[in-house]
Amino acid sequence: MIYYILPILFPFAASIVCLAKNYSLSESASLIASVLSITASLYILFLKPSYINFLYIDGFSKIMLVIISAIYLTTVLFSSAYLKHIKNPIISKSSYFLFLNLFVFSMLFSVSLNNLGLMWVGIEATTITSALLVAIDNDKTSLESSWRYIIIVSTGLVISLVGIMLIYASMHTLKITELLINKPSHPKLLVMGAVLAIVGFSTKAGIFPMHTWLPDVHGHAIAPVSAIFSSILLPTALFGVYRIIETASFDSVRIFALLLGVLTVVFASIFLISQKFYKRMFAYSSMENMGMILIGLAIDNKFAFLGAVILLVSHAFAKSSAFYTTGNILSIYKTRDINNVKGIIKTLPFGAYSFLLSAMAVAGAPPFGTFLGELFIIYALYLKFGIVSAIAVLIFLSISFFSLNHKVAKICFSITPEKQVQKKDEVISSLIPIINTVLAFLVIFFVGFINNILTSGMLK
Amino acid sequence: MKELYLIVGFAQIVFVIFMQWQIYLKKIILTFALSSIIIAAFLFLDGIMLNSTNLLILGTLTITIRGFFIPRYMLKMLNLAYKEREPRHIVPPAASIIISLFLVVLAYIVYHFTLYNITYIKAGSIPIALILQGMFLIISRNNAFIQLTGYMVMENSLFLFAGYLFPELPLIIEGGILLDLVGVVMISSIVIRLREDAISAITEQFEKFKG
Repeated sequence: MIYYILPILFPFAASIVCLAKNYSLSESASLIASVLSITASLYILFLKPSYINFLYIDGFSKIMLVIISAIYLTTVLFSSAYLKHIKNPIISKSSYFLFLNLFVFSMLFSVSLNNLGLMWVGIEATTITSALLVAIDNDKTSLESSWRYIIIVSTGLVISLVGIMLIYASMHTLKITELLINKPSHPKLLVMGAVLAIVGFSTKAGIFPMHTWLPDVHGHAIAPVSAIFSSILLPTALFGVYRIIETASFDSVRIFALLLGVLTVVFASIFLISQKFYKRMFAYSSMENMGMILIGLAIDNKFAFLGAVILLVSHAFAKSSAFYTTGNILSIYKTRDINNVKGIIKTLPFGAYSFLLSAMAVAGAPPFGTFLGELFIIYALYLKFGIVSAIAVLIFLSISFFSLNHKVAKICFSITPEKQVQKKDEVISSLIPIINTVLAFLVIFFVGFINNILTSGMLK
Repeated sequence: MKELYLIVGFAQIVFVIFMQWQIYLKKIILTFALSSIIIAAFLFLDGIMLNSTNLLILGTLTITIRGFFIPRYMLKMLNLAYKEREPRHIVPPAASIIISLFLVVLAYIVYHFTLYNITYIKAGSIPIALILQGMFLIISRNNAFIQLTGYMVMENSLFLFAGYLFPELPLIIEGGILLDLVGVVMISSIVIRLREDAISAITEQFEKFKG
C-alpha cells in the first residue's frame, strides 16, 4: 500500500521543508519531491489497481497521478527560472513553493480516494492552496481574479456538496467501491444528487455556464500557475465529474453531462473568435478542451472514454507548454495584447516554434495526441447520436482551431518593428515548453498502453 | 426534535433576511456567529437525544470554529483593513428582502415537486431556501466580506441539513468540510484585504475583456 501513497507524500514532505522559509532550500526540496513523485507515479502504473480502505486507484487514477506529477516537475523547473520576473510578489518566493507543493498534494490526494466526500474535501482544498498563487503578481487584476476564483468556485463546490449528500441519502455510503456495486434505495434521489454534484465540480473544471472565473484567472495569473491550472487542475475537477458519472451511471446523468460538454465547446469556440489577449485566448481553448473531455467521459462507450483520457494527457503537456511560452513572451514584451506582440520568431526563435506547435496541439491538429483523442470522441458521438451531432461539434472545433492558430501565427510571424525588443531566448524557460510539446506528440505512441491501463482492474 | 428543527430553520431564514438589509459589516458577522451557535446547539441536543458521539463532536466543532473562531478572525481582519459600513448595495435593501421572501417560496415549490416525494419531510425546503439566500447574498452585495458570509451561510445550511437528516454521515467528511471552511476564510481574508483598496481601479481594467 505504501507505494500508492508515495506520490502524494513527496509534495507534502516538500511543503514542510518550505516552512523553513529559505528560497534555495524550498526550490531544491520541490524539485526533488517532483522528481520522486513522477518516479513513484510511473512505478504505480505497473502495479495492480488498489481498492484498500481510503484508497481507490484504478487505471484512470494512475494516469492522473502520472500527469499531475509530470506537470508538477515541469512547473517547478519553469517556476525556478520564471520567478525572477516577479518584482513584488504577494507572498515570498519560498511560500510560492510551499503553496505549489500543497496544491499538487491536494490534487494527488483527490484522485486517489475511495470516498466521494473526501474527494470533495480534496478538490475544495485545491482552491485554498492555489488562491494565493493566482494573486502572486500582487497587482489589482490578479487580486480581483483570485477573489472571483475563490468565491465562484467555492459556491459551485457547495452545490456539489449538496449533491454528494443526496447521493449519500440514496446509497447510504460514499465509498466509491460500494457505490459502484450497491443498488440505490432511491434512484431519483441519486440522479438528482449526481446532477448537482456534476454542476459543482464542473464549476471548478471551467465548464459553461459556470466558467466565468476561468478566463480571468488564466489571463492574470503568472505563466506557471496558468499552466498548472489549465493542464491538471481542470482535469482533476473533471475526474470528480467522472467519478460521479461512474457511480450514478444513468442515461439522464450522462445526457446532462454531455449537454454541458457540448455547450462548453460551442461557447468557448465563439468566445475564442473575439479574444484580444493571448493568455485569455488560451483560457478559452482550455474550456473547449475540457468540454470535449466531458463529452468523452459522458458517452458510455470505450472509444469515447479512451479518447477523453488521451485528450486529457496530450492537452496537459501541450497547454502547459503554451502557457509557459506566454510567460516568456510576457517577460519580454510586457503586454498580453495580441496586437502588441509581433514577430516572436525573431525575438524568441525556439519559443516561437514551440508556441506554434503547442497551439496546434491544443487545437487538435495531427499528429498530436489531442487529434487522436478528439477523433475517438467524435467517432463515439457519431455512433451514439448520428452524423449530425458529430458534424455540429466538428464545426465548432474547426472555428476554435482557426481562431487560435490564426492569432498565434500572427504573433509568431508578423513583421517586427525595428528595435522593438531584443532577442532573449533563455535556456531553461525555452527548453521546458519544447519538451512538453514533444511529449504531447509522443502520447500517440502510448495509446495501446493507456488503453491497457484503463481497462485493467475496472470494478464496473 | 422535528419542532426544534423547524424553529432553528425558521430562525436561520430570519437571520439571513436581517443580513440582507444590514449595512454594518460587524453586525452581519455577529449575526452569522449567532446563527452558527444556534446550529451547534441544535446538533448538540440532537446528539444527546440520539446518543450520537458524532453529532456531539460536530456540535462542539461547529461552536468552536463557526461560532467563535471564524467570526473573531473576520472581525480582526475587518478592524485592520477598512471601513465598517457598506452603504451602497447592488440590490436595494427593500428589494433584497422581497427577493429573499420570494426565494423561500421558490425553495418550497422546488422541494415540494422534487425531493418531498422521496424524503416526506415537510421542513426539507428550509436548507434549500438558505442555500438560495446565501447565493443571493453573494450576488446582491459588493463587499467581499459579505460575499464570504453568504458562502458561509450556504455551508451552515448544509450542516443543519446533514446534522438533522443524516446524523450517521462519517465525521471525517464533516471535519474535512470544516477544515476547508477555515482555509477558505483565512485565504479569502488575505486576498480581500488587499483587493478592497483597489476595487474601483479594477472595474475599468476588466471592462475591456470580452466573453
